[in-house]
Amino acid sequence: MAKDIISVKDLRVWFQVRRGFIESILSEEQKFVKAVDGVTFTIKEREIFCLVGESGCGKTTTGKAILRLVEPTGGEVAYFGPGKEDMMKEMVDVALAKDNIDEDQAERIMERGGISIRALNKKRMKSMRQKLQIIFQDPYESLNPKQSIYDIVAEPLVVNGIGANEAEREERVTKALNDAGLRPPKNFMWRYPHEVSGGQRQRVGVAGALVLDPDFLVADEPVSMLDVSIRSEILKLMLDLREHKGLSFLFITHDLGVAYVFSDRIAVMYLGKIVEMGPTERVIKNSQHPYTKALISVVPTPDPKDREDKIILKGERPDPSDVPPGCRFHPRCPSVMDICRSEEPKSVFVSPGHSVSCHLLTMQ
Amino acid sequence: MALLEVEGLRTYFKTQEGTLKAVDGVDFTLEKGHAMGLAGESGCGKTTAALSIMKLLPANGYIAGGKINFMGQDMARVTGEKLRAIRWRDISIVFQGAMNALNPVKRVGEQIAEPILLHEDVDKEVANKRVKELFELVGLNPNRVREYPHEFSGGMRQRVMIAMALACKPRLVIADEPTTALDVMIQAQILELMKTLQRELELAMIIISHDLSVLAETCETLCIMYAGKIVERADSVEVFRNPQHPYTQGLIAAFPNVKGERTMPGAIAGNPPNMIAVKPGCRFADRCSLTKDICLNEEPPLIEVLPNHYAACHVVKPR
Repeated sequence: MAKDIISVKDLRVWFQVRRGFIESILSEEQKFVKAVDGVTFTIKEREIFCLVGESGCGKTTTGKAILRLVEPTGGEVAYFGPGKEDMMKEMVDVALAKDNIDEDQAERIMERGGISIRALNKKRMKSMRQKLQIIFQDPYESLNPKQSIYDIVAEPLVVNGIGANEAEREERVTKALNDAGLRPPKNFMWRYPHEVSGGQRQRVGVAGALVLDPDFLVADEPVSMLDVSIRSEILKLMLDLREHKGLSFLFITHDLGVAYVFSDRIAVMYLGKIVEMGPTERVIKNSQHPYTKALISVVPTPDPKDREDKIILKGERPDPSDVPPGCRFHPRCPSVMDICRSEEPKSVFVSPGHSVSCHLLTMQ
Repeated sequence: MALLEVEGLRTYFKTQEGTLKAVDGVDFTLEKGHAMGLAGESGCGKTTAALSIMKLLPANGYIAGGKINFMGQDMARVTGEKLRAIRWRDISIVFQGAMNALNPVKRVGEQIAEPILLHEDVDKEVANKRVKELFELVGLNPNRVREYPHEFSGGMRQRVMIAMALACKPRLVIADEPTTALDVMIQAQILELMKTLQRELELAMIIISHDLSVLAETCETLCIMYAGKIVERADSVEVFRNPQHPYTQGLIAAFPNVKGERTMPGAIAGNPPNMIAVKPGCRFADRCSLTKDICLNEEPPLIEVLPNHYAACHVVKPR
């Protein structure tokens, strides 16, 4: 059984809604956009875990909250990956020296396992980020057009003070470019983003994430801006990185087709919550939640016979600042029942590792 | 007679590096009430080909050759007032980013009424009544005609764009990536709407998309473009069941199909050619796995390889 690398428990990210002066006098209630509202999952080492859902469902915010690129409002994010022991030992030693904890407590903390990412101070978070990196969606906008590819990829080293001198940094950049499939690295290093193709640009983004030698990557829609003909090259690159460098991925996408062929497990999000989660094959071919079923049914397909049972949901996703009571999906659900309007469904397992939050499954 | 006949269309752009041959010899015909899809990678010329029909080219673009026969007129030669009269009344377009295509400081109802007032001799009242009808037609609440674009969601804005395109009851609607920026559920809603409208209003449509499955769902015929040329053309189901051109085969294999087998999609190695200095021979030769000597020297013509199924490839023989 593979070890966990990241565990997320009841993660919440709420944003305050700004109120005008009059509003703040008239109503006392502070409204929140509940972008992520109680999300729980674990990602194993060498696993590709995929978050899918419509835009605004909170999938990107979840990814960013894990890296604390947005601060979570509540919940836990714990890291169990390589280097964990050293980091914990150091923290425990500091606490012992200050007499904040005794030996017994120290031992228990070491045994319990994960490093709570939310509890880290600024300095430790910085070193933690070296293990947790992100690849962004748009290779056209996420690279500084005035920097050479070398400068872009070397920047994380400079920021983190890694590499004693230029030669050492160049060696690491060369290796990262090579790992990202920009070979030979010498041909790319001194070029600018506009001088390379879209696929190569995304590889530069990958190299920038790899240069710190991370263990865990959040990949936020890394292929949706690319032409179909080169998408699978980038996907294969990520599979390669898992194979040879033992990386784990949180892969965020709205494209069910990509999620289907590429990930080990899928979690389907709707309005800040996971509604269905499980091994990819099961979630896609044996989906249980009405939302998952609808999402899969409307993916365009070339074969006319696959189009017969489309479930086109009416309307658009509701506002996350005004979440419906009960099951959040009930206003759009084709099989809504009375209970769905008042009571939030609990997550139940329908088969090992495959969980669904829907009243339909608990009613039978 | 076909509604639209395009013959040997060439659309070039003047650039600092030289002449960019975005569309370089494209032929197709479109019958009344039919939908045709134009597919291909970014930069293949699909949008330019469609915009040429309406002559909506940027200042450095020009039609260098060919005929665009639309309802008895050669659109390649029509200019001035005559062109203005045809635009939007007979041919209209649904742009890709509904967000950017609408005027943010004007009520949507007024924006839709504008072409009606311009093209038809009607007063405001009649136009406003038509706007309300159009709203209903595309599934929007007619009471919202006085709202501004930002008050609508992305999917609804795309419906507004469609309503606007239909304002003057055109014969032909060009839709440029009509659902690309939308979520899959909203995409399904919009595609459903487009199909219904096409059937009920007997519209001819040219739909441009990089997503072959979107085109397969909405179009009767499918043209695959590569480097400024059509490389394959056939009935859309036929293109998928029996693709002939190696490029089409590669494109189809590159799509992961959620309803099919769980296999890693293929990739087409390399990049499309530079359209300023086009090499002789087949334009796909550099990326093709079946390249022979002839492919490097001679450009393959688009020929009928199966009944009503055209492909431009030296390796594919007519059967």
